[in-house]
Amino acid sequence: MTYDFFLYLAINTIVVLATAPLFVSLIKKVKAWTQGRQGPSVFQTYYTIAKLLKKEVIYSSCSTRIMRVTPLVNIAAMLVAALFVPLVFVPEPLGGIGNIILFLYLLALAKFFMALAGLDAGSSFGGMGSSREMSISAIIEPTTIIVFAALAFVFKTLNIFDMFALSAASGTITTPVLILIGISLFIILIVETSRIPVDNPETHLELTMIHEGMILEQSGRNLALIELSAAIRLTLLMALLVNLILPFGLATTLSMTGLLIALVLFVVKGVVLSGIIGLFESSMAKMRFFQLPSLFAMAFFFSTLIIIIEVFA
Amino acid sequence: MEAGLFLTAVGLLAAGFIIPLTLYGHDLRSVRTLALSCTILASVLLGIASVLILLGGAIPAFTAFQPFAVVSLSFVIDRLAAFFLLIIAAVSACVALYATEYGEHLGGGCRRNLLAGCTNLFILAMVLVVASANTLSFFFFWELMAASSFILVMYEYDSPGTRKAGIFYFIMTQMSTIFVLFGILALYGQTGSFSFSFAGSAITPLLVIAFLSLFLGFSIKGGIIPFHKWLPYAHPASPTPVSALMSGVMLKIAVYGLVRFLLDVFSLDLWWGILILLAGALSAVLGVIYALKEHDIKGMLAYSSIENIGIIYMGIGLFVIFSVTNLPLLASLSLLGALFHSLNHALFKSLLFLSAGSVVHATHTRDIEHMGGIARRMPWTSALFFIGAVAIAALPPLNGFASEILIFISFFSAVAVVDPLLKVLLLVCLALFALTSALSAACFVKAFGSVFLALPRSAGSAGAEEVPPAMLAGPGILALACIFLGLFAYQLFLLAGYAVPLPDMLFIGLLLLLMAALTLVFLYFGASRAERTSDTWGCGTRIQEASAEYSGHGFSEPLDIIFSSIYRTRIRNERVFFDKKNIIFKEGTAEIRLMKVFEEYLYLPLARFTLRSAIRISRFQNGCLDTYLLYVFVTVILVIVFLGWF
Repeated sequence: MTYDFFLYLAINTIVVLATAPLFVSLIKKVKAWTQGRQGPSVFQTYYTIAKLLKKEVIYSSCSTRIMRVTPLVNIAAMLVAALFVPLVFVPEPLGGIGNIILFLYLLALAKFFMALAGLDAGSSFGGMGSSREMSISAIIEPTTIIVFAALAFVFKTLNIFDMFALSAASGTITTPVLILIGISLFIILIVETSRIPVDNPETHLELTMIHEGMILEQSGRNLALIELSAAIRLTLLMALLVNLILPFGLATTLSMTGLLIALVLFVVKGVVLSGIIGLFESSMAKMRFFQLPSLFAMAFFFSTLIIIIEVFA
Repeated sequence: MEAGLFLTAVGLLAAGFIIPLTLYGHDLRSVRTLALSCTILASVLLGIASVLILLGGAIPAFTAFQPFAVVSLSFVIDRLAAFFLLIIAAVSACVALYATEYGEHLGGGCRRNLLAGCTNLFILAMVLVVASANTLSFFFFWELMAASSFILVMYEYDSPGTRKAGIFYFIMTQMSTIFVLFGILALYGQTGSFSFSFAGSAITPLLVIAFLSLFLGFSIKGGIIPFHKWLPYAHPASPTPVSALMSGVMLKIAVYGLVRFLLDVFSLDLWWGILILLAGALSAVLGVIYALKEHDIKGMLAYSSIENIGIIYMGIGLFVIFSVTNLPLLASLSLLGALFHSLNHALFKSLLFLSAGSVVHATHTRDIEHMGGIARRMPWTSALFFIGAVAIAALPPLNGFASEILIFISFFSAVAVVDPLLKVLLLVCLALFALTSALSAACFVKAFGSVFLALPRSAGSAGAEEVPPAMLAGPGILALACIFLGLFAYQLFLLAGYAVPLPDMLFIGLLLLLMAALTLVFLYFGASRAERTSDTWGCGTRIQEASAEYSGHGFSEPLDIIFSSIYRTRIRNERVFFDKKNIIFKEGTAEIRLMKVFEEYLYLPLARFTLRSAIRISRFQNGCLDTYLLYVFVTVILVIVFLGWF
C-alpha cells in the first residue's frame, strides 16, 4: 500500500463520515421549508447519532447473532464502499478498489444483512420491511446495472477512479449523454436511499414503511450505526452523481490547497444536490407499492435508450 | 505419479461399490463406513492428482479396453478434465463424510448398503465420464452415471412421491442419453471417428445436427428451462447426499460435456453462442423466479441450481460469441468465469443441500413454513447454511461473487467492442443477469430468514437439536472452501497462469475487517455499553405469537404479484350478494391456482401425443396369427421389391 493510498483512505473516510449526516439533515430542512415549517437544525442528524450512541441497546429475546453483527457489517461495507467513490481526491486505483460492480455488491451486502436483521426479531413489521426492500432492490437492479454499463461504455473503463479522473481531466461541461445518465442515476439514488416516491424516510407508518420498518427493532448504538450507514449510502450515490456530471474541482494530486478547494466544492455541490432532492421529494406523493414496477420499467427503458442512442450514434 | 493416483482412486471407488454389495445381507454400520471411507480416500487422491495436473503436471492417458480399431474405452486427463475431476473430488469427499452419519439415520435396513455402494458407482461413473478420451467411452459412462443416479433417486421407492419423481427423472435422463448418442453418431458420420478431435472448420448440416442434439442432451441433463422439470421432482425425493451430489456435481458433468465438445470438436458459429446465451438467460431468470415461490426447501435449492446452470450457460454463450467475433481475451475471460462458477456452485450448492438436509433431519419437515427459529437451536448448521447463502447470493467477499463478477466484467467490456445489434442483445442479457443476481439474494434472505430466524412455527422445529459432528464436518469443509476461493480468487488465478481483471478480494476482505475493527474500537470508547434483552414489540399484545411472524409466503408476496404473469397464477373470485347493487355480501368462493406452465403446455401434450401414437401402433399387435403371417408376407414382398429396385 503506497503512502498516497493510505492518505486517501484516511481523507476519504473522514470526509464521508463528517459530511454524510449534514446532507441528510439538509434534505429534511428543505422539505420542512417547502411545507412552511421551520424544521430541525441542519446539524440535527449529528445530534441524533450522538444521542443514540449514549443509549442502551435492547435485543429481542428471540433474536440471534444476525441482529448483533448487522450494524457492524453495514457500517464496514459502507465505509469500504466509500473508498470506491473518491469525494475530494482521486489517487491511482489499487487492488480492485473502485471497481464499479464490486461497489454495487458492497451496497448489496449491507442490504442483505439488513433484510435478515429485519426478519430476526420475529416482528411482522420487520418482515414486511425486509420483503419490500428485497423486492424493490431486485426490480431496480436491471436499471442500475444498465446505467453502470452505460457509464463503463462512455468512459471505457470499469473503475470509478478512472471515470472521475477522465471526467475531471476533460473538465468541459458535460455531454448530453452524461446528462441523460445523470437523470437515471438520480432515479437510482432516490430508490436506493428509500426516498419518496418509493418509500418515505420520515414515517413508521405501516403503509409506507420499507427501510424504516426493517430497522424498527434496532436501538442504541446499533441504530446509530445504521443511521450513519444510511447517510453514507446517500452521500456516496450523491458523490457519484455530482463528481461525474460536474467534475470540476476534484483534486488529482495531493496538495493542501487543492484538497481544501475540492472539499469546499464538494460540500457546495452536495448542498445543491440535497436541495434538489428535497424539492423533488416535496413535489410528489408516495406511490403505491405495486405501481413502483412501472416507474422502474420507465427508468429501465430510459437508460436502455441512452445506451442505444450512444451505440448507434 | 498422476496416473498412479488416478488409477488408485478408481480402484478404491470400485472397491467401495463392490464391498457393500457383496455384504448386502449384513446390516452393519462398519460396512457402510468402510465403503464411504473408500470414497473419501479416493476423492483425496483424485483431488491431489487433479491439482498436480492443473499446476502443469504430466497428462495421464491410457486405454482400458479396445475390441476393435475404432471402438475403445480410453482415458486422458488434460487440464479441463482435471478441473472437473477436482469439482467431483471436493464435493464427493465432503458428501461422503456427511453420509457416514446421515445414512445411519435413514430407514431401509440393508438397503443402506446399496445406497453407500451405488453412491460410489455414481461417483466412479462421473469420474470416468470426465476422464474419457473418446466419445464412445464418454457415452458409455454417461449412461452408467444416469442409471446409477436413478437407483439412488429411487432409494425410498416405497413412497409414491418418490416413485413418480423417479420415473420422471428416468424418462428425462434417458431423453438426454438419446440426444447425446444421436449427436455422437452424427459426429461419427461426419468425421468417421469417435475421438474428441477437430471436426473441420466447415460447418456442414450434419455438424449442426450434431451440435443441436448434443446441446439438447446436455441441457436436459443440466436442467436448462424448459427441460428442467426433473430437478424439482428428483431432488426433494432423494436422500440428501444424493441431492447434493446430483446438484453439485452431476449438473456440472453436463457443463463439462458442452464445454468439451465446443472446445475440441466443433468450429463455432455465432448463432450457437446466441442460442446458449439465451437459453442460459432464460433459465437463470425463470429458475430464480420459481425458486422464490417454492416452499419445499430442497425444491427451492433445485430451482436455484437451474438458475446457476443458467448463469454458467451464459458464460459459455459469451465464450462462443467472443471466439467467433475474434475477441480471444474476452472469450477466455467468460469461459474462465463459467468454469469458476461451476466449481463455486458445486461447493456452495452441496453445502446448502447438506445443511438443509440436517435441518430436515432435525425438524422432520421440508416445508419452510413449518420451520423458523432454528438458528438458536442448531447454531452450527445455521452458520454453515448462512455461509452458503451469502456465497450463492453473490455477495463479496465469498466465491459466488468472485465468479459472477468475471461474467459481469466480460459483459461490461463486451458492450464496448462488439457490433451494435449484438450489443443490444448483450445488454438485454446483462439486465436479466443482474435481475437474477438480485432476485437470488432476495430468495436466500427469504430462505435463511424463514428457516433459521424468528420463532419456531411448528413443534418439529421447536424441538430441533444440533446434528452430530460428522454432519457438520462435511459441510464445514465446503464452507471453508467457499470462503477460501472467494478471498484468494485473484491469487489462485495468477497461480494457474491467468491474469484476470478481478478485484483483489483478500484486500477487500481485509479492508472490511479493518473498518469493522475501527468501528468496534470507536464504540468501545465512545458509546454506551449497556444492553438489555426484552420482547419484540408486538403492538401492545402481551405474548409474541409465531403465527404473527412474516412467513415465507408473505415474504415473497410482493415479487409474486410483480411476476404474476410469469407464474400464471389464476385468482378466481366469485361473490354472491343479497341486493342488486352488489353491496351486501352473502357468500363467495375464492381460489388461487398456480399453473405448472411447462407441465401443462409442454410435457403433458408431448406425453399425450406419445401415448396416442403408442395406442395406434399397438393395434398392429392383435394376437391373431393370420395377421402376423400377413405382416411377414408384406414385409418379404417389400424387401424383394426394394432389393430389386435399388
